[in-house]
Amino acid sequence: MRISVDHARCEGHGLCAGQAPDVFDLDDDAQVVYLFEGGTVPPEHLAAARAAVNVCPVAALRELQH
Amino acid sequence: MPRHPDVPAYVPDIYSAQSILDPYPHYAELRQLGPVVWLPKHGVYALPRYAECKAVLLDDKTFTSGEGVGLNPVTNRLSRGTTLNSDGEDHAGRRALVAHRLTPRALRTMTEAVERQAAEIVDAALARRDVDGVDIAEALPTAVVPDLVGWPQEHRKNLLSWGAATFDVLGPLNGRAAAATLRGLGVMRFARGVVRRRSVLPGSMGDDLLGAADEGRIARSECPALMIDYLVPSLDTTLSAIASALHLFATHPGQWQLLKDDPGLIPNAVNEVVRYESPLRAFSRKVAKDTEVAGTALRAGSRVLVLYASANRDALEWEDPDTFDIRRDASRQLGFGRGTHGCAGQGLARLEIQSMLRALVARVEKIVPTGEPEWGLNNIIRRLQRLPLELVPA
Ligand code: HEM
Ligand code: SF4
Repeated sequence: MRISVDHARCEGHGLCAGQAPDVFDLDDDAQVVYLFEGGTVPPEHLAAARAAVNVCPVAALRELQH
Repeated sequence: MPRHPDVPAYVPDIYSAQSILDPYPHYAELRQLGPVVWLPKHGVYALPRYAECKAVLLDDKTFTSGEGVGLNPVTNRLSRGTTLNSDGEDHAGRRALVAHRLTPRALRTMTEAVERQAAEIVDAALARRDVDGVDIAEALPTAVVPDLVGWPQEHRKNLLSWGAATFDVLGPLNGRAAAATLRGLGVMRFARGVVRRRSVLPGSMGDDLLGAADEGRIARSECPALMIDYLVPSLDTTLSAIASALHLFATHPGQWQLLKDDPGLIPNAVNEVVRYESPLRAFSRKVAKDTEVAGTALRAGSRVLVLYASANRDALEWEDPDTFDIRRDASRQLGFGRGTHGCAGQGLARLEIQSMLRALVARVEKIVPTGEPEWGLNNIIRRLQRLPLELVPA
């Protein structure tokens, strides 16, 4: 699973990091950091990553279909 | 627009006084009827279940806001120009302006002040002991938001009533909407005056907006509507959530004990309160092109009603949806909307509600109901208007 992050949209609500702290973090400017940028999410974090995509209140996260 | 013959219909008026006071049985019947239900009284397709509400909110190209999110054509025309009622580029530009002072990052500098105010409010309430929970709920939003927006001191006492009116007129054209129309126009006239006279507080969000107009980034004529964007949806909604939290913890002492034992549950408790008693019951969208929802064909030009408050009680999505439990993961609730139009003020709302809960948990042993709570009548907002409580100090 790969995830695309729309940084223009992210408002730093941090719900993603709450669901999947091993996949998302917030930087000092409260912008989301995708810890596997450019790569795929390891299997053990898949469920949490999906939950994170699911809760982002402004839909800045998207699961890519490949 | 005639309905599709296969779509079930629900005849009772979900905006009658009775339905507003007790909406959940109606929503349960709607969910039972199907994912798309025609409301003949209002000429819209209701979406009572979670999956369809979420899908529609995420597809803002097909389900648009630019021609209004209310249920009556008059308001839908009048409220153009706000962030709430716009699409595409127009929306993105307004949203960026409105949201940048409301993000959690921007709010960091305010956190301490808000927590201090919350503590003062709870201390004052404890000194009285017998209180109306609605007064406690009102105190923080009315202390924080008008200063942040930069609204001048004059007319501040009207803000709550103007806010309620602006929501009422977004409902169907019933008696409540008609009665609120004049007050709704009052807030628009006031916002225009504030922009014309530049009477916003220096350094406030309103001041920022006028600055953006000076620099030509937005038209000056857009400023009044954007001022309203900040103010109207920010008081009643948050007040509602704080009052509902007090009511729910008063009537669920076991949940209150859980919160006291583990204040780490506070952020999720906010989600669960907003799930269980969603302050904003529903808004609509206009269908921009022929499409389908859950197999039901919808023609361009028809309107769908996104029932946040029903989606949040959908048994297809939630286990025991009618049970209030702060331990469930409620972060995917739709009470703040979702996607492009997802609440721009949710960071501020969360900060206010969490601060109140933190102040209460630290100072209050028990919240005891001392009389019948009363719910207010508003076409859009679900909120208590009287909540007699005794606060027992810790
Ligand atoms: C518990 C409190 C609150 C609740 C439940 C709430 C709920 C909502 C909902 C459901 C929407 C989505 C509307 C749609 O789908 O069309 C929304 C949008 C919005 N809210 Fe809130 N809100 C709250 C507090 C606030 C506060 C404190 C502010 C501002 C200071 C605010 C400002 C806005 C704005 C500007 C929008 C429009 C966003 C857009 O269209 O892009 N809200 N709110
Ligand atoms: S949940 Fe969405 S808005 Fe919030 S930090 Fe994560 S990506 Fe950004």
